[in-house]
Amino acid sequence: MATYVLRRLIQAIPILIGISVISFLIINLAPGDPTDRFRSGRVSPETIQNLIRLYGLDKPLPEQFVSWFTAFWQFPFRADAWGYSFVDGRPVVEKIFEKIPTTLELMGTSLIVTMVVSIPLGVLAAVKQYSPADKIITGLATIGYALPSFVLGLLLLYIFAIKLNLFPLFGRQSLGQEGNFPDYLRHLFLPVLSLAIQQIAGWSRYMRSSMLEVLQQDYVRTAKAKGLPASKVVYKHALRNALLPVITLLGLTLPSLLAGAAITESIFSWPGLGLLAVQSVTTNDFPVILAIVMIGGMLVLLGNLVADVLYGLVDPRIKY
Amino acid sequence: MERIDKTVAVPTTTTSATGGDEDEVDLIPVRTYWMLVRQRFLQHRLAVIALFLMAGLIALAVIVPTLTGDAYTKTSLSKSLLPPSLSAPLGTNQIGQDMFLRLAKGLQTSLFIGFMAVAIIGAIGVTLGAIAGYYGGWIDNLIMRFVDIVLSLPIFFVILIIVSVLGKGSAFVVIIAIGLTGWTLACRLVRAEFLKLREADFVQAARALGATNRRIIARHILPAALAPVVVAATLGIADSVVAEAALSFLGFGISPPDASLGNLLKNFDEDLQVRPHLLVPPAVTIVLVVLAASFLGDGLRDALDPRQRVESK
Repeated sequence: MATYVLRRLIQAIPILIGISVISFLIINLAPGDPTDRFRSGRVSPETIQNLIRLYGLDKPLPEQFVSWFTAFWQFPFRADAWGYSFVDGRPVVEKIFEKIPTTLELMGTSLIVTMVVSIPLGVLAAVKQYSPADKIITGLATIGYALPSFVLGLLLLYIFAIKLNLFPLFGRQSLGQEGNFPDYLRHLFLPVLSLAIQQIAGWSRYMRSSMLEVLQQDYVRTAKAKGLPASKVVYKHALRNALLPVITLLGLTLPSLLAGAAITESIFSWPGLGLLAVQSVTTNDFPVILAIVMIGGMLVLLGNLVADVLYGLVDPRIKY
Repeated sequence: MERIDKTVAVPTTTTSATGGDEDEVDLIPVRTYWMLVRQRFLQHRLAVIALFLMAGLIALAVIVPTLTGDAYTKTSLSKSLLPPSLSAPLGTNQIGQDMFLRLAKGLQTSLFIGFMAVAIIGAIGVTLGAIAGYYGGWIDNLIMRFVDIVLSLPIFFVILIIVSVLGKGSAFVVIIAIGLTGWTLACRLVRAEFLKLREADFVQAARALGATNRRIIARHILPAALAPVVVAATLGIADSVVAEAALSFLGFGISPPDASLGNLLKNFDEDLQVRPHLLVPPAVTIVLVVLAASFLGDGLRDALDPRQRVESK
């Protein structure tokens, strides 16, 4: 197992380098440079020259890449490893790490809600295939899947925040309510619901087809034939195996959650990584954008690795 | 050559490919592959509805803007925020623009971006996938490692960056950004089909007859490998329309006075509280496009399904 994880980590290195090169190149496609915003006349040419030298923008591109890349991996040890924000001059490491917990709250809660809701729904739809319950679940799943996150977000805001006035419109805390836990939960509710509904739609469909497949297996028929109660067959024999492929889904969900978070956080003004990403792209804050793309890439790779390792842990048939 | 092509395109015509059993062909009614596809597609009720829905949406997107020209940008303060009426079926916005005309134009822009992005995705994905699957070896390795890298990128952020770096507000840039990042699925599907087919009998036959690699790829394997790509492309239209809408919604895609389904929702924080009725038509239209494309894709998948093709052989 340890050697397997090690091998996967080593395999991830060239991919990480590839991600770095591509994101670095895309950012540098931009005409002009980030100091353009200062060229309004109020900033002297000398200051601009100093800025260019400070950020290393006068060096050739490959050299800029190498110095950025080698510094990047020192982030656990150096506060300035990811450079400084072009917007407020704060270290990028600090700017990003203060947002990570906020985003994890949102993504983690949505993931838990997704699993708690979609697995029973998928099992129910599969066990009672073609029943009205199955039709309602698959129908709702199809609609939920077709609702883009921003349409869903707007719909939830309109119903729950404006019409029913049950939940706040935006933010993570009301003014002057810092540390008030119920207030914080009320803020968390709509963004989580909006992120989770789409995931639930996908997960329950996946769970349903996985369960249907397992229910056709010989050993399930054997279990039924020897007279076990239906509930025992479903929950002990079938469900355990039907859950295996869902673990893979866990790894694949992380990147889509991150992309969904960018939109959901923007709609609900949830001060996380996604909102920071959108704001940084708006203000051409290249060091912050680069770091976020790298984190996103690492998250994708990590998600895949975690899924594969988990799969091996729960399925004794899999050997590394 | 022609004969070999036919066995690819018409695998369902009993044994006519061998050329000897003409009698049997007379006994069993000849149904070509495409006849079977059409038959299976028509059995899929939702897919047929989706086809009509998509046709209706395209008609709306083509006809209304063509007839009314750039009236969708016309502002008039005296006509600000009118309720729906005969002359403006969806009412007007704050600056007096006709929301029905803006919706039709927005649908046109969004569908155009969706179809063009899918065309780019198809072109890149099919080319790279065909080369990787057909030649194998180091070139396959190279292409697939590249696919791994692109798959590991946080795609939505990369699209955001490309659009903001190359110029916000341009449909062309949005198409490029979505197209350049979205081809990995098509590439993998085509590669898998090519891997499966490159040693097939009809390919061996073509090779034995001296066909060049390029001809084998383009004329022999590709037609047989396109079914999964057609399905993926149909579903890809939905993804591309949503990606464009999300971009414009966040203020990176198409910006006013141009219209797109996403930027009609852009002023949501104000509109939601004061005039939510302005947000309903574009939101519903986006969902309709997504539903139409996904059911169409489902129907095509069932109709083109290679497993069903084998059964009826």
